[in-house]
Amino acid sequence: MRRVGAWAAAAVVGFVRACAVAAVTLLVPAVWAGAVALGWSWGPANPWSWLLPVLLVGAGSLVLTRPVCRAVRALVARWGGRALPAGYRQAPPVVRMSTGFWWNGFSYERTRRDALMDQHWRIRWRDPANLRDLRFVAVAGFTAGPVAALPPLALAAAALGLARPEAPARLLGALGLLLAVGSAPYAWRVVIPVAERFLRPSRAMALAERVAELTAQRADATVAQAAEIRRIERDLHDGAQARLVALGLSLTTAQLLVERDPERAKALMRDAQDGAKASLAELRGLIQGISPPVLTERGLVDAVRALALDLRLNVSVETETPVRADAPIESAVYFGVAELLTNAVKHGGATRAGVTFRQDDHGLVVEVEDDGSGGVRERPGGGLAGLRRRLDAFDGSLEITSPPGGPTHVRMTVPCEYS
Amino acid sequence: MRILVAEDLYLLREGMVHLIEACGHEVVATAATGPETLDALLAHRPDVSVVDVRMPPTQSDEGLRAALAARRALPGLPILILSQHVEQLYARELLADGSGGVGYLLKESVFDADQFIGSLERVAAGGTAMDPAVIAKLLSASPPERGLSQLTEREYQVLGLMAEGLSNQAIGRRLFLSDSAISKYTTSMFGRLGIADDDDTNRRVRAVLTYLNQP
Repeated sequence: MRRVGAWAAAAVVGFVRACAVAAVTLLVPAVWAGAVALGWSWGPANPWSWLLPVLLVGAGSLVLTRPVCRAVRALVARWGGRALPAGYRQAPPVVRMSTGFWWNGFSYERTRRDALMDQHWRIRWRDPANLRDLRFVAVAGFTAGPVAALPPLALAAAALGLARPEAPARLLGALGLLLAVGSAPYAWRVVIPVAERFLRPSRAMALAERVAELTAQRADATVAQAAEIRRIERDLHDGAQARLVALGLSLTTAQLLVERDPERAKALMRDAQDGAKASLAELRGLIQGISPPVLTERGLVDAVRALALDLRLNVSVETETPVRADAPIESAVYFGVAELLTNAVKHGGATRAGVTFRQDDHGLVVEVEDDGSGGVRERPGGGLAGLRRRLDAFDGSLEITSPPGGPTHVRMTVPCEYS
Repeated sequence: MRILVAEDLYLLREGMVHLIEACGHEVVATAATGPETLDALLAHRPDVSVVDVRMPPTQSDEGLRAALAARRALPGLPILILSQHVEQLYARELLADGSGGVGYLLKESVFDADQFIGSLERVAAGGTAMDPAVIAKLLSASPPERGLSQLTEREYQVLGLMAEGLSNQAIGRRLFLSDSAISKYTTSMFGRLGIADDDDTNRRVRAVLTYLNQP
């Protein structure tokens, strides 16, 4: 009994979905068929009677394909659970040049409105996605559309047949009903493979998108690097360099005083020693911030072990496989782990943490877990956003799960072409 | 003493040699790479060696590895590691074999010639000379484990200073206490840590090892 109920529910849901899929995928073919019928009714032999239908087919295809494809994507994402990337071109920002003209990525226009309009039309009509959408509409009109239309058509046939008194018609009606009920749960599903095959971004589109992504990443990386270099320069200039000048001065003075006032000379020498010690301590801190010496001497895992020893936190460091990666990646991951562990101590009040390294054919995976209070969120411009940007430069990813009350679990990955 | 100096930077190496010779000790050999250091250590068996951590050819922890390898071949070979930075990880590795006669100091410890030579002599005698920074990091590290929790605060302080390698007199001066008070603390501390009564240097090293929570 229960199985029958479940079947009936699936059939009803499937029937509704089939109707929706059929309506969406058959819209453009219906326009085409209507135009052909119009031309036929005006007289197929007269060329003039075909003028309007041709215009109608063109306009219908151009205007309707994109909304239809968006609808199909939405349906597939909702019912099939698969988000298909659309890959439509995105408009670059419109900027005003020093000349007063507006640059929209394609041409200079006199006003912002002109620039936006020009950009909109260029992007809308020169998008390689248009051709792909058109192809999908044509293909779906002959595959997913008719199949999805099967349950409603069979039901209509059943209603017509059962309403008639003749036995053959009734028999056909009963067959139609059987067909409608039998195909209802499955008929709409054909749209998923068809959409996956024909609605994906083409190779050229995927490449264009990748180029845009890499351009953005490069800009990010260069800005971050320049800021870092400026910081290092400033620290050296204001710290160690100034101290060395003072040191030289002390020594010069001591040299002058060594004959006349040996006691003062000795005191100055002691000052110089203290100055040297202080500038060494400063340089040590600076170097630790640029690239920790342990990382250079021992690699990533031991550097994290050394870091764990210096924290007020019980950290277990485990590695399932030997880890080897290029220096920039090791540095990014090291500072990432350092950021996460210090956050766990400072904000999460954690007492224990675990770091696990794993490297296989797919790349390097680092997981950091702590028993802090959780609720970790990424803020724009914060440390975690910076870490994500650093990993992005290597196509890496950062996943944070941190429910309120903990535990916090962070997973960093870097694909193998880099590691 | 017969001393070996292993350091890749020419200026520092020569400066160190001058300093050691000025203090009346003999430099038996110098080395500038990891393999050279290991060979010299095994060939000369110096009374004490001054070794840098980072060295050619790989510019990784060659010096430290040479020192550890030499101590595996000749247990207790006295070695003082000098580095631009101190890491607990390296300190633990040096102390792990438990035979003493190791030191780990920052390079600027040579600024104070008397103290530097003192550290060399301590290491040569089988004691330890640890940089206060390492000890400070250890003191601030996670809660003490394995028996250390039984120590009183004063004993814990004494142990920290002992880990730096100070003698009882020096600890007494640092804490403004008499020698006899310090030796009372150390005796009760050894008792609590369950360290048997053999010669004093060894006991101190073992107490330090416990302190560094090595098994």
